[in-house]
Amino acid sequence: MATREGSFSVEDMKNVQINIGAVVKEADEWDQEMGPHPKPGVATLRSWDHMIANRYKIMYAPADDTCTLCTYGPCDLTGNKRGACGIDQAGACGKIVLIACLMGCCAHAAHGRHLYHWCMDKFGDMKFDMGDEILVDSPLYQTIMGTKPKNFKDFNEGLYYLEEEVVQLLAATHTGQESAFIDFESKALHAGMLDLLGMEICDMLQIVAYNMPRGAADAPIIEIGMGTLDQSKGVLIAYGHNLAAGAEAMLYAESNNLWDKVDIGGVCCTAHDLNRIGLGKGEAKVPAGIGMKPKVAGAMGWWRKMIRSGVMDCVMVDEQCVFCDVLADAEKRKIPVIATTDKIMLGLPDRTNDSIDAIVDDLVSFKMPGVAVLDPVKAGEIGIRVAIAVKPKRAEAKIQNLITEEQFKESVAKCTQCNECAFVCPPHIRISKLIADAVKGDLLPFSNYYEICVGCGKCEQSCPQGINILDLFEYANRQYIKNQKFKMRSGRGPARDTEIRAVGAPIVLGTIPGVIALVGCSNYPNGTKECYDIAKEFVDRGYIVVTSGCMAMDMSLYTDVDGKTIWEQYPGGFDGRNICNTGSCVSNANIGDAAIKVATIFAHRNHRGNFDDIADYILNKVGACGVAWGAYSQKAASIATGCNRLGIPVVVQPHSVMYRRSFIGRTDKPEDWMVIDARDGKMQQIEPAPEAMLYIAETKEEAMVEMAKLCFRPSDNSIGRGIKLTHYCDISMKYCGKLPDDWHIFVRDAKDLPLVYKEQMMKELESKHGWTIDWKAKKILTGPLRPADVSFDPTNLPRKIRTKK
Amino acid sequence: MAAEVKKGIDTTKNPIPFEMAQVPGPEQAKCYMPKVMGAIIKKAKRPLLVVGAELFDDPIMFDKIIEMGKMGIPIAATAHSVKGFVDRGYLENVYQIGLHPLTNNLRFPDWKGLDGQGQYDAVIFMGIFYKFANAMFATLKNFNRDIKRISVDRYYHINANMTFGNMAFIPDDYHAAVDEVIAAMQK
Repeated sequence: MATREGSFSVEDMKNVQINIGAVVKEADEWDQEMGPHPKPGVATLRSWDHMIANRYKIMYAPADDTCTLCTYGPCDLTGNKRGACGIDQAGACGKIVLIACLMGCCAHAAHGRHLYHWCMDKFGDMKFDMGDEILVDSPLYQTIMGTKPKNFKDFNEGLYYLEEEVVQLLAATHTGQESAFIDFESKALHAGMLDLLGMEICDMLQIVAYNMPRGAADAPIIEIGMGTLDQSKGVLIAYGHNLAAGAEAMLYAESNNLWDKVDIGGVCCTAHDLNRIGLGKGEAKVPAGIGMKPKVAGAMGWWRKMIRSGVMDCVMVDEQCVFCDVLADAEKRKIPVIATTDKIMLGLPDRTNDSIDAIVDDLVSFKMPGVAVLDPVKAGEIGIRVAIAVKPKRAEAKIQNLITEEQFKESVAKCTQCNECAFVCPPHIRISKLIADAVKGDLLPFSNYYEICVGCGKCEQSCPQGINILDLFEYANRQYIKNQKFKMRSGRGPARDTEIRAVGAPIVLGTIPGVIALVGCSNYPNGTKECYDIAKEFVDRGYIVVTSGCMAMDMSLYTDVDGKTIWEQYPGGFDGRNICNTGSCVSNANIGDAAIKVATIFAHRNHRGNFDDIADYILNKVGACGVAWGAYSQKAASIATGCNRLGIPVVVQPHSVMYRRSFIGRTDKPEDWMVIDARDGKMQQIEPAPEAMLYIAETKEEAMVEMAKLCFRPSDNSIGRGIKLTHYCDISMKYCGKLPDDWHIFVRDAKDLPLVYKEQMMKELESKHGWTIDWKAKKILTGPLRPADVSFDPTNLPRKIRTKK
Repeated sequence: MAAEVKKGIDTTKNPIPFEMAQVPGPEQAKCYMPKVMGAIIKKAKRPLLVVGAELFDDPIMFDKIIEMGKMGIPIAATAHSVKGFVDRGYLENVYQIGLHPLTNNLRFPDWKGLDGQGQYDAVIFMGIFYKFANAMFATLKNFNRDIKRISVDRYYHINANMTFGNMAFIPDDYHAAVDEVIAAMQK
C-alpha cells in the first residue's frame, strides 16, 4: 500500500475495512503556513519551558517534607534529601505541582468532552460561527493544533489530542518515571497550556450551541445576590460549572410557562453560563433572551452562607468547585439534591432510568435526600418540578434554617475561649473575640467579619464544644444574605477583532499601561472586597481590566458613593478604562485568546501551530498581568501555569503558597536578562521586564505595586514606559509612602521619566546611582543599561532573527 | 500584665503550629527563651530582619523593630510595611522588597544581599502573615540550610530553627518577650 498525505491507494487487498477519521484539507481559507509545532507533544516545547525556568527560577515552598506516594515511604526529604526511589525534595515538589496542574486541566478537559457529546446530541453538528466581528475565532486552538475548527465535530480532534497528552503527562508522575524538577515543570507548563485549550473548547462550544454573546461590550447588566431570588416561588439552585442541566431546567420552565412559579439561581460558574444563554446574535436553537430570566445567586465561596439563608428549595449540582458536604448541609435543611453529572454523584442512587414522577415524589416527600440523574433533560425537569412542589412541603415541615436568638445565646455561652478555632481559620479571624463580644450583646464584630470569613467550616470541626460557628455568623447577618441585591455585567465572551485592532498598538507601545486580568475565586486573603479594590485601582488608571468567574461576581457586591457597582461605573469593552466580564471559569481562555490576537491581528504574527513564537511575542511585547486573588482550586494552578507558558505573568495571594511552586527572576543576574535583537541577532541585556512569572504577594497593596511593574515590557516606547512608570510609582507612593527602590532600572532615557517625578528622579539618578546628567539639555548621558530604541525587537527564539535577503 | 518580669517571659509554651495542620515532617522548630534568641541574633555575622504587614495590626511593633534596626541590623520591609517606617521617619537601613523575591534570593549562596555586602547568615521574621512566613521558612529549610531561620513572631513557626511558642493571644507577654530579645541584643 502506497501512501501520501491526503490520498491513498489499495491494491490486491480483500476484506479490508477502512475507517476514515477525518479528512484534512490543507490551507483552504487560511493564508498562514503551518508553524513548526502543531499539536506539540510533551517534549516539543521543552526548550521554551527551560528558557522560562532559567530566567524565572523555579522556587518551591514544600508543604510537606516527606513523600508518601509509594510503599518505600514515608521518606524524609528535608533539606532536599533523596527518598528511596531517588527523587529529591525539588523533584517531589515538581511532581505534586504537575499532578495539581493535571487535576485542573482534566477538570476543564472533561467538562469540554461532556459538552462536546452533549451539544452534538442535543443540537447536532453546528457550524462554528463566532460572527462577523470575530474572524480569529479560536486563537488557542489554532495556535496549538494548527487547524481551524469549522464545525462542532472538528473540536473532537482537539479533545483527542488533549486526552492523549494528559495520559502521557500523568504517566510521568509514576514512581520511577520523571525525576528532574525542571522537567516536571516543563510538563506542568504543558498541562497548563492544555488547560487553556480545554477551556477554550468548552467556551466556544457553549457560546455557539447556546447562542451566547460573542464579544458584546454592551452585554446586559443582570441581577446578582440571594436577595434577587423571589422567595414566593420555588427556588432552584444550579451549582457548579457545567450548564447542561441548569439550561434544561430553564428550557423546561420556559416551555411550560413556569417562571411565575419558579426562580432559578446559579452558584459559581454555572451562574455565569446560564445568564449568557440566548443573548447572542448567532444561530438560535434556544429561546432568545432566556438568559435574562435566571439570577446569579453568588460565588462558590458564599455557598455555606447561602444554604443557611433558607432561600433555596432544591439544589442541582453539576461539576467542579462543589463543596463535598453539599448533601449533608442540604439534607439537614430538607433541600433535595440532584446530582447531574458522573463527576459528582455524592453516594446517591443513580435514578437516571427511573420515571420522572417517581423521582419527584421521592424527593418532595423527603423519602430520599437526593438522587443522581445523569440525563440533563430529565434532571432539569425534575429540578423545576421538585423546587415548585417541595416549597409548601418545606414550609409545612417548619424547617429551621437559622438558629433562634435563644440558641444563639446558648451557643455563644458554651465558648470557653480556648481559641482552637483561631488555630485553623484561614484568614485568622479571632472567632473567640467575636463570640465574647456577642455574649455582651454586640453582634457588630460578627457582621464586620462576615465577608472575610471564607465559609470553610474548619472552625466547627475543631471546636471542642461543638459550636456551629457558621450558624452564628449566619444568625448575626441574617438580613444581609436575604437582602443581597447587586448588579453585574453578563459574560461577554471573547474580545472582538476590531477591539484588538484598536488597542494592539497602544498595548505594545505601552500607552495603554497594561491588561489586568482578575481571575478565579476571591476568597482570600482578606475577603471579597479586595478584588473590587484591585479592579477599581487599575480601571481608574486606564488599564484594560478583564475578569471572569467568581471574581466577577464578588466584585459586584460593592458600590461607590453613588451606589453603583463597578459594572455600572465603567463600560464593558476590551479597552482602557473599561472592565469586561468574559464569563465563567472556562471563559478565562478568552483572556489568553486576546493576547494571541494582539500578536496575530495587530502584529501579523503567524500563530498557526506556532505556540512558542506567539508566547515569545506576548512575553516581550504585551503588557498583561493576571491576578488570582483568592483562588482555592487546582484549576487556578493550571490556569496560571498555562498563562505562564503563554508569556503572561500572574500574581497570587499568600494562601497560594499551597500550590508550592512559583517562578521568580533574579534581578541581580544580568546574564538572566539577555535577549536576542531579532533585527541583527545581537544579544542585548534588558531590564527585568517582566521580573516574575508567578509572584506571591502578601497584601493587596503589594500586589497592586507588583502588578503595575509586571506590565513593563522591553518593547515599551518612551511614552508608554513613562506612563507605566508613572502608575508604578504612583501606586507605590499611595500604598507604601515612597517611590519603589528599583524604579531607576526601568529608565532608559530621560523621556521615560514620569513628568510628575522627573526633576526629583534626575537628581536621584545622579546622586544615588551615579548616572551623568546633562542638566542644560535635561538628558541622561550615562547610566541606563540600554538606550530606548523604538525599533528594538526582542526575542528569545533564535529562529526569529531576520536574515538579510 | 501577665508577664513575669523578673524571671522573664516563658516563650517555650504552646509549641503548636498556629495553623494546626501545618505539620511538615520530622524536623520541627524548637522554642527558645527571649534571652537566648537575643544572644543568637547578636552573634550572627550577617543578620536580616524581615518584617511584614501584620505590623500594622500592632503598630507598637514598628517602634521595637526600629530599635533593632538602630542596632545596625538591616530591615527588609516586605508587603507594604515600608509605609510604617516612612510614617515614623526611619528609613536608614530599611529596604522595600517582597517576601517572595527576598526568599528567592536568600536561597542562592551567591546573592550579595540588599546592601551588596554578601549573603546573610540569619533571618529574623516578624509580623508576617503566618501561612506565607511558614512557606518561605519551608523554602529555606529545604533549599538553603546555611541561613539560620529565626522567628520572633507571636506564632510557633514549625519550619524555623528557633521560634517562640504561640503567643498570639497574649499580646502583653509577646511585647515583653520582644523587649527581652532587644535587651539581650544590647548586652
